Amino acid sequence: MRARLLALVLGLCPAGQALAEVYQKPEAFVAEVFGTVPAPRVLWLSREVQAGAAAILGHPPPNLRQRYWSDGAKSVWILEEIGKEELITAGFVISQGHIDHVRVLAYRESRGQEVRDPSFLKQFAGAGLDKGDHLDRGIDGISGATLSVHAMERMARLALYFDRRSRD
Amino acid sequence: MKKSALALALSAFATGTHAQSTDEKLRILQQEIDELKAQVQKTAPGSAAQPGSATTISGYGEFNYNNYKSDQRPTQADLRRFVFGLHHRFDDRLTFHSEVEFEHAVVSKDDEGEVEIEQAWVNYRFSDAVNVKGGLFLIPLGILNETHEPPTYYGVERNEVETRIIPTTWRELGVGVHGLLAGGLRYDVGITTGFDSGKLDDPSVGVRSAHQEGQLANAHDLSVYGALNYRRSGLLVGAGVFTGNTGQNGASNPLLKGVDARLTMWDVHAQYKVGRLELQAVYADGKLADADQLNAAILATSAEPFAAPNRMKGAYVQAAYHVYKSDQLDFAPFVRLEGIDIRQQEDPANGLFQDPANHERITTAGFNFWVHPQVVLKADVQRYRTDPTKDRFDLGVGYMF
Repeated sequence: MRARLLALVLGLCPAGQALAEVYQKPEAFVAEVFGTVPAPRVLWLSREVQAGAAAILGHPPPNLRQRYWSDGAKSVWILEEIGKEELITAGFVISQGHIDHVRVLAYRESRGQEVRDPSFLKQFAGAGLDKGDHLDRGIDGISGATLSVHAMERMARLALYFDRRSRD
Repeated sequence: MKKSALALALSAFATGTHAQSTDEKLRILQQEIDELKAQVQKTAPGSAAQPGSATTISGYGEFNYNNYKSDQRPTQADLRRFVFGLHHRFDDRLTFHSEVEFEHAVVSKDDEGEVEIEQAWVNYRFSDAVNVKGGLFLIPLGILNETHEPPTYYGVERNEVETRIIPTTWRELGVGVHGLLAGGLRYDVGITTGFDSGKLDDPSVGVRSAHQEGQLANAHDLSVYGALNYRRSGLLVGAGVFTGNTGQNGASNPLLKGVDARLTMWDVHAQYKVGRLELQAVYADGKLADADQLNAAILATSAEPFAAPNRMKGAYVQAAYHVYKSDQLDFAPFVRLEGIDIRQQEDPANGLFQDPANHERITTAGFNFWVHPQVVLKADVQRYRTDPTKDRFDLGVGYMF
């Protein structure tokens, strides 16, 4: 019985996975978007950009620069933000000022993984920023994952904002 | 940076600086540029935020005002809850979660306030699908018990079904296995401490007064629970069950030695959001066995004997409509209809009767106004059909982070 239980548990665990919550490495996400990985670019966060990012996040961005990837038409931003207790890592693909698609690359909390659900993430497709740097559409939440949903919304706004500033 | 180096170089030439010195400066500048480039390359993708601290803080709370229509109940303002959570990540798989709650602002021997550990549990994550937890954790029945932060529910006060039937905020000491299966189905099963019928002292809240909250909990009789919830954007459908004996071998009341007094409670619940309309419903049902023996124990030991509850059920339906919604502001009127039915084991020979107030119908209408996604202002009116002394007007402020 014990052996069966152990086998069941092990069977449900991804074999050989170092970090159970990492669904896709950022490099793999970038490669998927562009076919090959272009050289990374850097957006230096001037005081003005920092202020804009802080208004979106509700806290100052911790770094003075943000790495991103672009082929001129699309840009990819890998961002992190705390949901309730832990950082969520998500990749955002921006095209012509709108979100092309979003993917959760790593999720570290013990609840709320439902934000990975494609039916939730597809709500971001096509979203842009309004004049106040808010998303131009409402995002339906997920019961029990409220703060993770809010974190995803903040990151989506930040990716769109960074993309715009990178083209200034 | 290259422009700066070029400017410096041009400036050096313009001021007639010695050529060897200029070369040296350019070499140093180039080194600095190379180091900066190297740092950027080393920076992990996702560098918009610092790597998460191992220890994080969360919190929620609410300040409520209750203005009763009847003079029999005092109009009051109360710092109902002030809760902070401490969470710690030991490594990639092992985490700790806790919430400490202060109720009614002041905690002392002569005041109403309480300090409670609402949660304190350790989680080991094998994968999204398999987590093992142990400690004091919330029982996954209903919607409110696990998701109870004020900005996440409608109404100043928590609904009565998930207060008097499901004793929110209900936690037990134990171990459980939980996870998210493919397709959005979340399960949670475990074995925990249970209720102690020897501690029953208020049948108006069903079995709530018999829950032990991890405080020197009598654990002769353990309970088991299980819950399934299907979530996707805008939709939640779920059910849960909790069952176990509550006699605790007479630890709190010797007359219950050898009495099972099994409690079985279950619920089904749903939330659905379509456009600006939000619908929610919960049905909860519980049975407490051996009520005659519970009555005998109560008669023998209680200064104010009461008929033991033997069946508790309740349901509510709720509708809200987001009249105005922007990125930050959200205004949503709502209405909720609730029914509570707590049946008691009557014993007329000994003067134990059903309390008619335990069969109640409540109508609540009001609004939630989120001034930030995590800060809400609330107002509502509540009407009680059986006990109109509870009719009231409520105001509240709630937050979470």
